Amino acid sequence: MIRILSRYIILFVLTLLVLAAMSFSLAYLFPGDVLTNLTGITAQNDIQRNALIKQFRLDSGYLVQFGYYLNELFAGNWGYSFISGLPLRDEIGLALPATIELASYAMLLAIVIGIPVGCYAGLRSYTPADYGINSASMVGYSFPVFWLALLFILVFSLELNIVPLSGRISLLFDIPDKTGFILLDILLADNIDRSLAFKDALQHLLLPTLAISTITTASMIRLTRRSVIDVLNRPYIAAARSRGLSRWQIFFRHILRNALLPILPLMAIQITTLITNAMIVETLFSWPGIGNWLIQAIYQRDYPALRVGMLAVASMVITLTILIDLFNRLIDPSREKYERATV
Amino acid sequence: MPMLDIKNLTLEIDNGTSRVKALDKVDLTVNSGEIRALVGESGSGKSLIVSAISGALPPQFHITADRMSWNGESLLSMSTEQRREIMRRDIAVVFQNPITAMDPSATLGEQLEESIPDELVKGKWFWQRRQSRRKSAISTVHKVGIKHHRHYLNAYPHQIPTDIGQKFMIAMALISQPKLLIADDPTRGMETTTKTQVLKLLTRLNQTRSLSILFISHDLLAISSMAHTMTVLYCGQSVESGRMKMLRKRPLHPYTKALLDSAPSFRKDLPPKSILPNMDGIIPSLKHVPIGCRLGPRCPRAQKDCVITPAVRRIHDHTYSCHFPLHMEKL
Ligand SMILES: Nc1ncnc2c1ncn2[C@@H]1O[C@H](COP(=O)(O)OP(=O)(O)OP(=O)(O)O)[C@@H](O)[C@H]1O
Ligand code: SF4
Ligand SMILES: [Mg+2]
Repeated sequence: MIRILSRYIILFVLTLLVLAAMSFSLAYLFPGDVLTNLTGITAQNDIQRNALIKQFRLDSGYLVQFGYYLNELFAGNWGYSFISGLPLRDEIGLALPATIELASYAMLLAIVIGIPVGCYAGLRSYTPADYGINSASMVGYSFPVFWLALLFILVFSLELNIVPLSGRISLLFDIPDKTGFILLDILLADNIDRSLAFKDALQHLLLPTLAISTITTASMIRLTRRSVIDVLNRPYIAAARSRGLSRWQIFFRHILRNALLPILPLMAIQITTLITNAMIVETLFSWPGIGNWLIQAIYQRDYPALRVGMLAVASMVITLTILIDLFNRLIDPSREKYERATV
Repeated sequence: MPMLDIKNLTLEIDNGTSRVKALDKVDLTVNSGEIRALVGESGSGKSLIVSAISGALPPQFHITADRMSWNGESLLSMSTEQRREIMRRDIAVVFQNPITAMDPSATLGEQLEESIPDELVKGKWFWQRRQSRRKSAISTVHKVGIKHHRHYLNAYPHQIPTDIGQKFMIAMALISQPKLLIADDPTRGMETTTKTQVLKLLTRLNQTRSLSILFISHDLLAISSMAHTMTVLYCGQSVESGRMKMLRKRPLHPYTKALLDSAPSFRKDLPPKSILPNMDGIIPSLKHVPIGCRLGPRCPRAQKDCVITPAVRRIHDHTYSCHFPLHMEKL
């Protein structure tokens, strides 16, 4: 167990180190002044400039510079935005949770709908019901996400006018930011009408979540269906049937677990797509998430923001991927038993 | 009346383009309290019979039978619920490949305990029932000759050696206290002492609890020492069937004779997938089965009539399917 954990930790640290190195090198690769790219501060005069060069060790070798850069990253000094002049850490601290919130609801929806429907299709494989579900998920899977989002906006916001067009919550509500998750923040906020705010936030959430989760749900259905069909053909299912277990017993004790185990790592791959999709959809719905924020940074050539923003997104994806992989490793009994027992 | 009575069982396998008859009019009966051996070369369809009886067939298998009954009730026409009850309480199956027949994500203990029918579990409250389950799991595991129950009950199928897996399959079959045990090659690859232990256990259960056993094996020595009756299968056809003693003394079918001769004085096991020493050729694949008597191309006594499938003939309780049987002059 210790060995596995340390392997994962080493992998994690190394990946992050490489990412940090890449983000550091971006300061040199982006056009413009290295110092400005790195700090986000445009020096007003030579004295300030020299002080900054000294502080950021730009007069020493690259390694020393990188060491200082890492140090600063850990200390939370991520530099300042060109445009707003605010600390990048604060800006990302607001934007990233908004994206995570959107992506998690989409994932939740995909799991809650995708797995039961996929199981149903798998158990009824090659029947009309299965063909119906299968073709529907195929269609859902092949929609481009931005097109779907635009379609939703067109139909539900502009034509039917039942849900708001953009943003996270109506400006009428002043929700203090505590967790970064709007629904939690509403629950924690005082002096507002919580149920009204909640309803409003849900309405804002509805379209972007649906747009993102359509694709993830579709692939979840397909993965689950395939996996259930695979498991159904295994000899141990025939053996369980021959022991006279009921269909429910067989499903819950033998099919479900074996079908879900192989799709967990595939779900980890889905998360990357999911976050990418979330970032695309954000820009369409003006959702104040990291994707939207990065697009703004690109438009405005805010190089320090791009540098740190990419690092933040990449670190988040890596962390999630490794965590899911580790989790998968811990619950899969066909890996070593004793690793499992010590969790 | 036989307990398990199968008449003209035909199993066809759909392989996309065509259907092949993997079992062709097989007859098989198991009487109450008897040990019946089912023998035949590798690929003759023994395991297919087992899956046909157990009822868990993949969708590309199609079975038809004139009769397939359990204690007089037709297994083919009864409801799935009734069928399930019979498989749960009366018939237990030991599959040929124990490791793949066990759920890789559940411990052996869990799988063993779920095979216990409810009426064998004592106690009213769930903790009492859990304890009772555990107790009968442990005693059954001991019975089949596994000593370290604590270790193995918590192990997963991939963590155990094959012979423990085979014993566990037997334990899983016996724990429901069935009336008929179908054991498909339960001792394959076991070392002699372990094998003797298992065979002794089965014989004892047969004598003390009058457990009927359909025993499938390549081990003619074991079969001749414990089985009362024997059915010989060749390429999906049942060729001869009768009391063990009769078959050994005077086999009527050329294939039975070759099979018995291939294990001189029953001293050697017949290794699976081997060519019979007394008969040229190998068992035909299902794509190229000969018409008529499927033994035809390999049979030393074959004649023109053999292109017509021989009917089942009967002398007392001895049945055979051959146009030109052996030893007829002595009858
Ligand atoms: N799922 C399947 N699809 C197609 N053909 C099959 C399938 N299962 C078995 N067969 C064929 O049916 C025939 C009989 O197989 P079976 O496993 O019953 O042999 P067996 O008598 O049990 O042999 P062994 O002694 O090696 O266990 C073989 O020719 C095999 O190729
Ligand atoms: S019917 Fe003909 S081919 Fe078949 S076993 Fe008898 S003699 Fe041989
Ligand atoms: Mg077999």
